[in-house]
Amino acid sequence: MAKLSLMFEERLVKEVPVGSRAIGIGRSPDNDLPVDNLAVSNYHARVYFEAGKLVVEDLDSLNGTFVNDIRIERATLHDGDSIWIGKHHIKVDATGDAPVPWDSGRKTNAPRINETMVLDTKVRRDMLQQAAAMGERTQFAAGRLKVPTMVVLSGKTDQREYALTNKLTVIGKSGLATVRLKGWFKPAMAAQINQRDDGYYIVAGDKIPTVNSAPISGPVRLNDGDLIEICGVRLNFIFRE
Amino acid sequence: MRIKSGGVTDVGRVRSNNEDCYRIVPEMGLFVLSDGMGGEAHGEIASAMAVETVVKHCLEGENNPAAPIFGETQPGWSAHTKRLASAVHLANRCIFESAAQNPEQQGMGATVTAAWITGHELSLAHVGDSRAYILRAGALQQLTSDHSLVAEQVRRGILTAAQADESDMQSVLLRALGTNPQIEVDAEDHLVFPKDVLLLCSDGLTRMIMEPEIAGALQSEPDSAKAAARLVDLANERGGADNTTVIVVHTDTETRNWFSWLRFGQRKHSNGNGHAGGK
Repeated sequence: MAKLSLMFEERLVKEVPVGSRAIGIGRSPDNDLPVDNLAVSNYHARVYFEAGKLVVEDLDSLNGTFVNDIRIERATLHDGDSIWIGKHHIKVDATGDAPVPWDSGRKTNAPRINETMVLDTKVRRDMLQQAAAMGERTQFAAGRLKVPTMVVLSGKTDQREYALTNKLTVIGKSGLATVRLKGWFKPAMAAQINQRDDGYYIVAGDKIPTVNSAPISGPVRLNDGDLIEICGVRLNFIFRE
Repeated sequence: MRIKSGGVTDVGRVRSNNEDCYRIVPEMGLFVLSDGMGGEAHGEIASAMAVETVVKHCLEGENNPAAPIFGETQPGWSAHTKRLASAVHLANRCIFESAAQNPEQQGMGATVTAAWITGHELSLAHVGDSRAYILRAGALQQLTSDHSLVAEQVRRGILTAAQADESDMQSVLLRALGTNPQIEVDAEDHLVFPKDVLLLCSDGLTRMIMEPEIAGALQSEPDSAKAAARLVDLANERGGADNTTVIVVHTDTETRNWFSWLRFGQRKHSNGNGHAGGK
């Protein structure tokens, strides 16, 4: 199995195996490879298997991710490569192979696979357990307790802070909006924040919001600490414990 | 909220029978879609039973708010959401009991996705892998989470979304109506905004067409029934491997105020779809 070793100068800081789950790298402590350095973004990059290949992907980090001295947005990794993030580097050991596809050898369980079928509870429990074992430790317990919150830094709104508890959050003047904008000439629906399986995304409405001063061109995934500006209102997206 | 809706169901290009079923009750703003399974004609029986039971129970609830509520409900849900969840519990029981009494129906089951719009409130209840989406300001957002094995694996981080799309385990459901005497129902409350488009669809659509294309088709066709037909046609063009059923619901404000009249004039209102002039 492939292995990532986080190094500072020539000292080993942490080592993690790469399973079928993506390995997160960044300053936030909930990453699999936390890198404690101000030059590193909260969620800086991730490494995962795609179609049998080990891939590193930069998560729009401020200072960039480098593979063997070349700045990358996304690159396939080979055995012996080094990923450079700030002053740290991560050695890639890919001597092991890609993880065994999860469904291999299990096809006998599902004889008519193109017909919809339901797993009975026992088979379901077994399959999920097996699946969980493949995915190594699931980090959910820690991640789930955090409440995504919008804190109003400046501008006129009906509250100073909003916990995002719904899948759909609308920012606007409309009486139905969660984050209610006040004042003249504010649009009914300025922007929206949608919860998807992998996080919270900000999407334009009648106006185009900026995230960390950059106008968005499509749905943008929000990271802890992001600054959103819309219709003169500045909001800070954070995860509250 | 003014509501316009349309639905289409199609057998597809591969299967010989259509096990999907849907029902629109415009007076109530109730939309129910179900995808049956279980070989022979029994998938059809299960999905029809699911749709009928849900509609009937909701209708009963409207006429008599004191009608019994089945299954677990959460205190935060609105009365309509509780009713809808109760209807899904009842549908599960009906299918399960029918399968238990008729040995030839053994193994039949169905998914169900039901939406109920009252005023600005949208109640959703669902079991299985039929989906509900909302298109708001051009962004398509999935409101339901599939109760399928691959979706669960994606949520747990075991598969990527791309791997899930290619998996041959896509048809394996973790929850469906009619397989257990008790079932867990996902239900939610949402608010609908004017100009939202609600989409309910069976997996025949979402396995054939990617989400951006669905969003594009919904945006380019302002007529609900035509949009639904367009999506089904697209799924069939891509192979139509499964039955495809689509319900499209357009919402708009009830009345127009003097300000929008001033801004847009009368002509635009008369044809109702936002295109001034033309045919």
